[in-house]
Amino acid sequence: MADHANHDHHGISHVAPARVLLTAWIGLMVLTVITVGATKIDLGANYNLALAMAIAVVKATIVLLFFMHLRYDKLFHSVLVTGGLLAAALFVGFALMDSGQYQDTVIWNPASPPAAPIGPPLVP
Amino acid sequence: MSEPSHDHHDDHGHHGSRFIQHHYDDAAHQFDSGKLGIWFFLVQEILFFSALFVAYIVFRAHHPEIFAYAHHYLDVKWGAINTAVLIVSSLTAAWAVRCAQLNQRKGLIACLSITILCALGFLGIKTIEYTHKIHEHILWGKYFDPCVASAGNHLLNKGNNCPGFRSSVTWDAKSNKAASGCLEGEFDREPEVPGIQAECKVTEVKGANRRPVEACAEEGGKSTFPCWELSANPHVCPAGPGALIIYGDHAHHGDVTVEATCEAVPATAPVGDAFAPAAKPEVEGQATFRRNPALTKHERQHLFASGPPPEHTSMFFSIYFAMTGLHGIHVLVGVFIFIWLLVRAIRGDFTPEYFGPIDYAALYWHLVDLIWIFLFPLLYLIH
Repeated sequence: MADHANHDHHGISHVAPARVLLTAWIGLMVLTVITVGATKIDLGANYNLALAMAIAVVKATIVLLFFMHLRYDKLFHSVLVTGGLLAAALFVGFALMDSGQYQDTVIWNPASPPAAPIGPPLVP
Repeated sequence: MSEPSHDHHDDHGHHGSRFIQHHYDDAAHQFDSGKLGIWFFLVQEILFFSALFVAYIVFRAHHPEIFAYAHHYLDVKWGAINTAVLIVSSLTAAWAVRCAQLNQRKGLIACLSITILCALGFLGIKTIEYTHKIHEHILWGKYFDPCVASAGNHLLNKGNNCPGFRSSVTWDAKSNKAASGCLEGEFDREPEVPGIQAECKVTEVKGANRRPVEACAEEGGKSTFPCWELSANPHVCPAGPGALIIYGDHAHHGDVTVEATCEAVPATAPVGDAFAPAAKPEVEGQATFRRNPALTKHERQHLFASGPPPEHTSMFFSIYFAMTGLHGIHVLVGVFIFIWLLVRAIRGDFTPEYFGPIDYAALYWHLVDLIWIFLFPLLYLIH
């Protein structure tokens, strides 16, 4: 574990400086206000979503780095988290690949059967 | 290195905490092992939740209209408060670790207590939200049968027995019209919609204490109606000032449906700003209006418009309850963990060389916070 000269090190683990914790907390609160405020601005649904997600990612990074200590922790823990997030991203990516091919109605209701798939038949 | 006697923990050169297990070299070894373990656990938690996020993303990609409609049922206020509550508790959890490392027992006890209170506060707010939704049948799957409309939208109700709110409005799926409800409203201008000039066909009002429907004509520009019930017989009153408002006001919900069913009379009226057409005016015999957003904030929350609600809106709530429910279970588990830690902290178990459980619990808690950081915009802040 890399030793950080400026912080006291108790031999077992790095102690998070009070200033870092408070700054991270203020940052998270400010970003929460911003993300709520951003919904009032109409950027178009996609850009509003992208902005909200970008803010959420920044908030998540703050939590991971400072509250969860990854910034000062063993690199291996960061590798683990990154691996988990990549696996989740793969999961999402693969699920989305064919999402354009779904039928509109996925809930079977005998009274109103699903509409026929849109587009030309798959087999000529 | 097995020792027959477990009474003397210092046999291995440990100083201090009796919680350092003999099979570890030293306190740091025990701490690092535990930390590796909790990180493995947290990574699988990420994967666990990611399945629900996949469900969300796929469904939203396929049915954006449902999300745009249904999120109005959620109250941003509660979601934002809960976000802040969790962030505060994350700070105190991180601070608890710091206190334990610095041997600040009082600070540790205070931080753990605040964390527990915040967690309980989060669950309390979630209870308020869930209770509201249960009351109004805003639930998953076939149980989605709400008694009030989502703000800015038509009511979707398949005709269940509403809990009897003054505001309950029943949506008749067969005729695609409101079957009963309360009327109240103030219109200060004519609806100016090309192609529709406003003869408002209101279904009849019944009930002894109801004002006659003609009242809307008499009162002209500013009409405020008491609670009405509607039945099938059509009445005629001028649209515009007398436009029909189906009022879904509820103490803590406040949704309002504004609907004017109008005779299509060819008109030359320009498009004004008092009303915006939500249905295509060329649809003969019917148009739906909504009030101008440039009204007071309170009024804006009570706007209603648009055509029938999207199909399968209930799917949103299936996803909502699955995601927030699983998250809520994690919060509940966190409460118990932190209570256990608080008891141990009061007992004085934790020292600068034995604080692993605090650190691990705090990491778990931060992950719970992290999940919510994504749930909040995805569920509450849909634009």
